[in-house]
Amino acid sequence: MWEMIVSELTQAMQELARGFAHLLPRIIVVVIMAFVGWVVAYLLKVFLRSILRLIKFDTLSENAGASQLLTKAALPSATDLLCRFVFWVAWLGFILLGVRVLGIAGLEEQIAKFFLFLPRLFVALLILFLGLLGATFLSRAVLLAAVNANFPSPRLLSVSIRSIVIIFVLSMAFEEVGVAEETMLVAFGIAFGATMLGLAIAFGTGGKDLARQFLEKRLVRGTSKDEGKEDDLSPL
Amino acid sequence: MPIAKDVPWYKDAIIYQAHVRTFYDSNGDGIGDFQGLDQKLDYLAELGINAIWLMPFFPSPLRDDGYDIADYNSVHSSYGTLEDFKKFLASAHDRHIKVIIEMVLNHTSDQHPWFQQSRSSRENSHRDWYVWSDTDTRYHEARIIFLDTEMSNWAWDPVSKSYYWHRFFSHQPDLNYDNPAVRDEMWNVMTFWLKLGVDGFRLDAVPYLVEREGTNCENLPETHAVLKELRRKLDEQFPGKMLLAEANQWPADLRPYFADGDEFHMAFHFPLMPRMFMGVKLEDRKPITEILQQTPEIPPSCQWCLFLRNHDELTLEMVTDLERDYMNDTYAQEKTMRLNRGIRRRLAPLLDNDRRRVELMNGMLMSLPGTPIIYYGDEIGMGDNINLGDRNGVRTPMQWSGGWNAGFSAADPEKLYAPLIQDPVYGYPAVNVFSQRRTEHSLLNWMGRLMAVRKTTAVFGSGSIEFLYPANHRILAYVRQLGNETILVVNNLSNAAQAVELDLRRHKGNILIEMFGKNVFPRVGELPYLLTLGPYQFYWFRLRRI
Amino acid sequence: MTEASLAEESFLTDDLLRQLINVGEVDILVGVPTHNDAKTIGPIVETIQAGILGFFPRARAAIINVDGGSRDGTRELIVGAGIDDAKSTSKVRTLRTLHSISTQYATTPARGTALRTILAAAELLRAKACAVVSPESTQITTEWLTSLLRPAYIEDFDLVLPTYRRHRFDGILLSNLLYPMTRALYGLRIREPYALDFAFSGRLGSQFLAENVWHDEAAQAGSETQFTLTAIAGGYRICQSFLGSKDQIERRSVDLVPAMRQTVGALFASLEPKVSLWSTTNGSLPISTTGPEQEFTLEPLRVNRKRLRDMFLTGVTELESVFQSILSPSTLAELQRIARLEETGFCYSAELWVKTVYEFAAAYHKSVISRDHIIQAMAPLFRGRAFTFLTENRTASAANVEDDIEALCLEFERMKPYLREIWNGRE
Repeated sequence: MWEMIVSELTQAMQELARGFAHLLPRIIVVVIMAFVGWVVAYLLKVFLRSILRLIKFDTLSENAGASQLLTKAALPSATDLLCRFVFWVAWLGFILLGVRVLGIAGLEEQIAKFFLFLPRLFVALLILFLGLLGATFLSRAVLLAAVNANFPSPRLLSVSIRSIVIIFVLSMAFEEVGVAEETMLVAFGIAFGATMLGLAIAFGTGGKDLARQFLEKRLVRGTSKDEGKEDDLSPL
Repeated sequence: MPIAKDVPWYKDAIIYQAHVRTFYDSNGDGIGDFQGLDQKLDYLAELGINAIWLMPFFPSPLRDDGYDIADYNSVHSSYGTLEDFKKFLASAHDRHIKVIIEMVLNHTSDQHPWFQQSRSSRENSHRDWYVWSDTDTRYHEARIIFLDTEMSNWAWDPVSKSYYWHRFFSHQPDLNYDNPAVRDEMWNVMTFWLKLGVDGFRLDAVPYLVEREGTNCENLPETHAVLKELRRKLDEQFPGKMLLAEANQWPADLRPYFADGDEFHMAFHFPLMPRMFMGVKLEDRKPITEILQQTPEIPPSCQWCLFLRNHDELTLEMVTDLERDYMNDTYAQEKTMRLNRGIRRRLAPLLDNDRRRVELMNGMLMSLPGTPIIYYGDEIGMGDNINLGDRNGVRTPMQWSGGWNAGFSAADPEKLYAPLIQDPVYGYPAVNVFSQRRTEHSLLNWMGRLMAVRKTTAVFGSGSIEFLYPANHRILAYVRQLGNETILVVNNLSNAAQAVELDLRRHKGNILIEMFGKNVFPRVGELPYLLTLGPYQFYWFRLRRI
Repeated sequence: MTEASLAEESFLTDDLLRQLINVGEVDILVGVPTHNDAKTIGPIVETIQAGILGFFPRARAAIINVDGGSRDGTRELIVGAGIDDAKSTSKVRTLRTLHSISTQYATTPARGTALRTILAAAELLRAKACAVVSPESTQITTEWLTSLLRPAYIEDFDLVLPTYRRHRFDGILLSNLLYPMTRALYGLRIREPYALDFAFSGRLGSQFLAENVWHDEAAQAGSETQFTLTAIAGGYRICQSFLGSKDQIERRSVDLVPAMRQTVGALFASLEPKVSLWSTTNGSLPISTTGPEQEFTLEPLRVNRKRLRDMFLTGVTELESVFQSILSPSTLAELQRIARLEETGFCYSAELWVKTVYEFAAAYHKSVISRDHIIQAMAPLFRGRAFTFLTENRTASAANVEDDIEALCLEFERMKPYLREIWNGRE
């Protein structure tokens, strides 16, 4: 019996050793891939950083209002964030490529899904970024126009516009990454529709005089020039 | 196409104006004469003219270049004899050249026997042949014409101790046309020359014949009555002869001299001439078209006389002050070029000796409605000498050749009646008939071709005129029409190439045939007819429907 | 070179080209941009013609109307006023044809395109001198033509700008910003750097036509100001000519923001390409002027000063986040301080105003936010400055107003090093 145990043990050890010997080179390959991947990712990060610095990406991001958001979330600057993101994605990519070598079943499928997901994530982030840019621009434009036209509550108007655009953009981003698509769509639809309806009622009932004045000024030329004119000053 | 037979000769004439003194000296005394003129008739016939208008050649003290006449029935001795004149007349007629002479009706020289008799005593039979007065206050509303030299229209005669009336120089007393004897005698004078065979008279200073108190003594109905009477007699006794009025007036004021076709046959269109010069300088047809728009219709048997230059200064009386200043500043920069209210220069110097402009101006002269007159020497581009004083700068000897005295006279150069033009540009070695005859494209030969083309049609002399008003104001374009014949004339008044679109829809379907080269141009369609012209270029197109 | 670029872009219609061919070379061209001006344009064109015929009777001249889509017969009125031999009903006796042509450059008015069309016509017609007359200048007299054209046509100036008799409170944007800043930056005391009635030589017109402003819509809008700056930068001979009263009858309410876009926007945009010029210019010199440099009238004028201050306060409050991107912290703080002052104590000092303007100019150069937004943001601050100007000069004489403006100009000049500093300075 002792000999059987030893023999089985030896066999098991041999199998383990065989398995280890089978796995070890692959692990070494994974490690090497990880190392190479780190180097490549690092180089990529440095390269990207210099490009972003060149195109003043931080300034762009500031204009977009993204920088303020990041600061509030105690995140690093947009350039740093992007570089780090790219670094991690690249390195992870390399690691995952290496992991494939291990030949673990099911893992390959997940890895493939991960890589397929990446472009959509990127697009979503791009939508978000551009959307923030647009929201800031639009809200500022509305603010300035309202101030110069002496409208009441210009900031409220500006913030409303900004919020609407951000919500819209977020919905699009979420839809792009496929997170709670249906929920987001419906939620956005309800929120947007309600807002519009509310605005219409408010504008229509409360602001009908303003609306009349606005339309008259825009569409009817040649009406009395004194209407709406506060004085006889001319800047030029 | 030959000229229609029922058209009066003067409507198709091309008149050559010359002074016998300036043309050719046959006897070596330095002064041109009739025998000389006779010898040069072939030249004129070859050139293509068919009428010659002679400046005054009657005996005269020559204090007003022959317009002060001392004898109406003879020839000044410097120019030959009456026989010489008759011979010349016959030679001209042999070559189918009509002869028009000057007839100064309004006044005579104070050396004329009539005046000598009139002034001798108040009882003399010729006393009333002139206008006498004991005071100088009559007819005070009449203007003084020679402002530079005369202070009054009355002159004191120490012989008869009274004043006599003169509208011009004081040595040119006015005849009294209220006296039937004067009227009869002047008709006799005219008859004398008509019987010799002259074809017409240029009647000088016609507006001033009769005076009436309380008027400006110009263009009076009584004056017209005198002229009409002359015309009536002329038509009765000498049909086919012509009367040409010299009256420097606006076209509308000139109209009465045509009456109903029973007064003058022709009259000079004075206001048009400076405007042609103006149009070329301004590069704008406006002055030309506007004066012609203001020109009234005249009876069908009557005709305007057109000219570019003549023996007098280029008159600027019939223009506005603005226009006069412009003309003086552009054509007479030196003050010595200006005389009275005009410019005393010849055609070629006025146009800066620019051959293209000379051609253009002659082209317009030959194609506008009227009978053209060429001043002697302008056909070869003669120059002038403003240093000769008065208007003598444009009356220098004709330049026949580059040789002795320009071939004008065999006399010593110092004996010539006036010095020759001698500068390198216009002097007789450079500008003369002989050289130009030998050069195919000389101005002389070109003028000959121009006249030849003009004579292929009666349209220019007798046809109607309709101006086209293309938007490009540098183009003067008009359509001349007579019966079935239509001619389009397009002139570029500018010194740069021009493009012009002409509205010829009325003549749609016609083919244009350029009259000099006889080449065919595109047919007129519905769209504006596009033409391009070089600097100062002009086209004459015959419109044909085939 | 210019002919080639014209051919490439071909914004000139065939119809206009045909009309230009018919006009041919001219000595003088007068351009009149219009849009539905049938009520006023007749007498203006008649006056222009009388001016040309009276003062330049021998000159080859033409009037060109560039129209932005009128539907009230404006174009027909102008074309019908031409003087030529085809119109035998013309009462005016002239030496030459005086063409009056018209073209529609667009279906809606666009100042820049209008000016560009006039410049192209002037070049093709080889005009020696060209004047532009606004259809709003109903106070025009025949003397305007000689005042504008004589310097360009006879005295060899390249740009002739107008000076006017104005109400002392008229044109505050000009007197408090455009004039002093142009003067400080470019060293020339040009009272009306933005003008609607002006004249120029053919040389300058060709130069400006060839410049690359026509591809940019924003730059096109400020083309009049650009024109003046091109003349200054190119060392062209500039002068001023007194015209008379600036039109007061048709006081169209010129909206401030569009006006600022055309003027202040153009001025700021010019700073970058011309930095080597303005950064080395010190002080300022007067330019040749015919007649008084400026005349002020003192009649009462309806002015709503309170509204100006209110809009300033609203601006300072609501636009704080925008101003933070544009102004320095000290300037912004100072503005907020004066915003808290009572009306009687309110004063937007010259120094503060100059600092504000210069900081805006630097921000514009760096495009810290959209450039159009920078201009819009400046409007409420200008209103505050206008309020102070109106208050300080409420009972002032014409001389005092002039002194006040002169003091402001000197302040602009004195603080120019500050602009240089912040221009190259902080990131």
